Amino acid sequence: MLKRFLVKASFLVSLFALLLASAHAQDEKVIVIGHAEVAEAYDPAHAYSPTGGMINRATYDTLVTFPDTDASSIEPRLASSWSISEDGLVYTFNLRTDISFANGDSIAAEDVVFSFNRLKNVKAQPSFLTDPIVSVEAVDDATVQITIAEARPSFLSELTNSAFSVLNAEVVMANGGTDAADAAETDAAMDYLDQTSAGTGPYMLESWSPQEETVLVRNPNYWGTAPYFDRVIVVNIPEAATQKVALESGDIDLATDLSPDQVVQLEGNDNIGIFRGPASATHFILMNRDPEIGGPMANPLVAKAVRYALDYQGYRDLWAGSVTPGTNMWIGLQGAYGQDKAISRDLDMAKSLLAEAGYADGFETTLSYPDFTFNGVNLSTNAQKIQADLAEIGITVNLNPGEVQVSLEEYRNGQQGFAYWFWGPDKLDPVDFLEFLPGGKVASERTKWTPDMASQEILDLIAQAKIESDAATRTEIFNQLQDYAQEEGAFAPFSVPAVQTAFRADIQGYVWHPQWSLDVALLSRAE
Amino acid sequence: MPIYQYIFRRILFAIPLLLGITVVAFLIANAVPADPINANLPQNALNNEKLVTAFREKWGLDKPPHIQYLTYLRNLLRGDMGVSIKTKNPVLEDIRQFLPATFELATYSILIGLAMGISFGVISAVWRNSWADYLVRVFALIGVSFPVFLLALVALSIFHAKLGWTAGPGRLSFLVKDPPHVTGLFTIDSLLAGQWKTFRDALSHLILPSFVLGSFVSGIIARITRSSLLEVLSSDFIRTARAKGQIEPKVILRHGLSNALIPVVTILGVLYGNLLAGAVLTESIFAWPGIGRYAFRASTSQDFPAIMGISMLIALIYVIANFIVDILYFLIDPRIRYS
Repeated sequence: MLKRFLVKASFLVSLFALLLASAHAQDEKVIVIGHAEVAEAYDPAHAYSPTGGMINRATYDTLVTFPDTDASSIEPRLASSWSISEDGLVYTFNLRTDISFANGDSIAAEDVVFSFNRLKNVKAQPSFLTDPIVSVEAVDDATVQITIAEARPSFLSELTNSAFSVLNAEVVMANGGTDAADAAETDAAMDYLDQTSAGTGPYMLESWSPQEETVLVRNPNYWGTAPYFDRVIVVNIPEAATQKVALESGDIDLATDLSPDQVVQLEGNDNIGIFRGPASATHFILMNRDPEIGGPMANPLVAKAVRYALDYQGYRDLWAGSVTPGTNMWIGLQGAYGQDKAISRDLDMAKSLLAEAGYADGFETTLSYPDFTFNGVNLSTNAQKIQADLAEIGITVNLNPGEVQVSLEEYRNGQQGFAYWFWGPDKLDPVDFLEFLPGGKVASERTKWTPDMASQEILDLIAQAKIESDAATRTEIFNQLQDYAQEEGAFAPFSVPAVQTAFRADIQGYVWHPQWSLDVALLSRAE
Repeated sequence: MPIYQYIFRRILFAIPLLLGITVVAFLIANAVPADPINANLPQNALNNEKLVTAFREKWGLDKPPHIQYLTYLRNLLRGDMGVSIKTKNPVLEDIRQFLPATFELATYSILIGLAMGISFGVISAVWRNSWADYLVRVFALIGVSFPVFLLALVALSIFHAKLGWTAGPGRLSFLVKDPPHVTGLFTIDSLLAGQWKTFRDALSHLILPSFVLGSFVSGIIARITRSSLLEVLSSDFIRTARAKGQIEPKVILRHGLSNALIPVVTILGVLYGNLLAGAVLTESIFAWPGIGRYAFRASTSQDFPAIMGISMLIALIYVIANFIVDILYFLIDPRIRYS
């Protein structure tokens, strides 16, 4: 009798709990994101993957960060302000004092010291990011001083990487973490940090079933504007085609990995919204400065003529959402020339430049390029357009499509005279542009545009760009270098294609970011 | 020989087989002309001597291959399959996590495949050269030759997205919580926990992928059942049974089919092994977190411990599946005695 009663009672209790749970679930604002998971860890000291970057952006904060959509400036985050010593070696960060971790503990300089030292000493995938750092010290509770080995203007940009997330040292240590020199062997906090977060971000990691799903819940103690969604579920859907089906049928609210042609198929579907913004690849033509390899293209006047001959509007029409870059400096970087400062087509100018170079009647040349489609952009299509554009100023272009690996080898060895390639920044910092100036990898090794071809003034500017840390001075230097590239450069950048993402029509606030790809805290749902 | 003695001998034979598998897997994994360093460390970290050395030391890559192998073997004998470079979890734990999903899918698929395949095979043999026979044979041909991933995508777009008859990708709807872990098989765990909703949800998610994989299986089984049954139905004892006046269904099912099933059972072991080991594409399309995708990731990132673990697991699956098949022979055909 008693047993029967107990069974009944426990049944009723569990039913009640179930009802409560479901009632609770209905009130919750939930977003489901379909995503091809690429993550081996979420512990910021071990994570170095697209998914890790996205999740840790939501669960942690860094000292400084980028704006929501690009890398055009360095913004304060955990540090309210900072100063850089005259020699560019010592960075002093003043922490905000009104910030607490998700568990309520307040953040202190020691947490920064612990997090950065742990990142270095666990010797994991992202640990190389700490290579420039000599020491990290807490001056007082709210001041951190980082000393680096040599002047490194890109250092602040590098600190935006989620590997430099600031963790709650006390919690991490209580769960086996250490920042000691032998952390590679003794740190045991990864399992803990892969399942739960110890940060200050708008969300907390609630659970992670690798290859299945990651669940984030709102951080009740978040110091900034509270995010819209209470719960974010990132489900692993490895196949883009499946993501598309799931998005169309409303299983998921957002699909992160659709190919551009799949996004095009969703156009006109009233239930679906589409985002297009500039991706991080700049498509460009290179003109080898070695006359033996480049022929007429080695002449700077011819290179300039090519820049004025390209039909930039045409490439924008060809690829939805694409923009025209000002130079080879990626359009989202601090101080980069955008479409407004880009060269516009001027056929008369191009023809007179050709005449000045001694090719009034034009000439014949061959354009080499890898024959494939990258992020939805077919390089052959662009090559044919380049051919048509240059025909208008009398340059006859023969197309030489190559197998990717073969063509890449030629390109890297500087064997191509006139070629079409694309470049995504290795580093989200203006210094990346130096690759395209005399002395840089792409310019000197691949295009034979060597330092001896540049004036001393330019060489001095390049040298200064490598050590100058002051933001305003940097912008000034890079403006001059971009002007120089537009005048004298061996490249003709012509297109930055679009990143394309699709989501349910009621999802708002989606933007793509080159660093963390998606900031889930910016998303909301139209009500 | 009594059956238990036979079972014991089979288990004894499996040991050198598994050892051989470790040797082969190790040799193949090491013969790949690529460095796991490249697959597992970021490009920029390759310049950092300290990080590369630490990585090699941590995963034992600094030692000569034969030492690596012996270390692996020694750990294996202690039940330690090593730690996956990619997931950084013990391989055994990874297998425990990903195998149940595949096991559940493969089991439903084989059951559906068997039910469809045998029925179709019987229909087609009994009404040989009728329109039903032709229909079944066309179906079997499609089942066998149609690419599984395409079938999966088409099925998903029609039955889930367009008609809404079944659930979509994944093992459960995204807002439904996993049932408490007992076996790892959601349809069983949910029943054990009395969670009917979860059970229905899990079942609804299983239907499409099981039918997709099952249609492949049923194509093969239908063809074998048909030819085998045709042969049996033309033998003397069937004529005798008919002459004794037994009703036709009994003749076909009791006397015919039970004797025709031996080749089906034979192929069953291989098919089931295939489903457990090789459903990578179906698992990808249906976002099924199973062992196939784990194996794929392990091989692309040259995750030696995981590759070895998976190879052993797959070998073990085949050994067990064929073992069960042999036992089934005993039960189906009293003439078979092992000696």
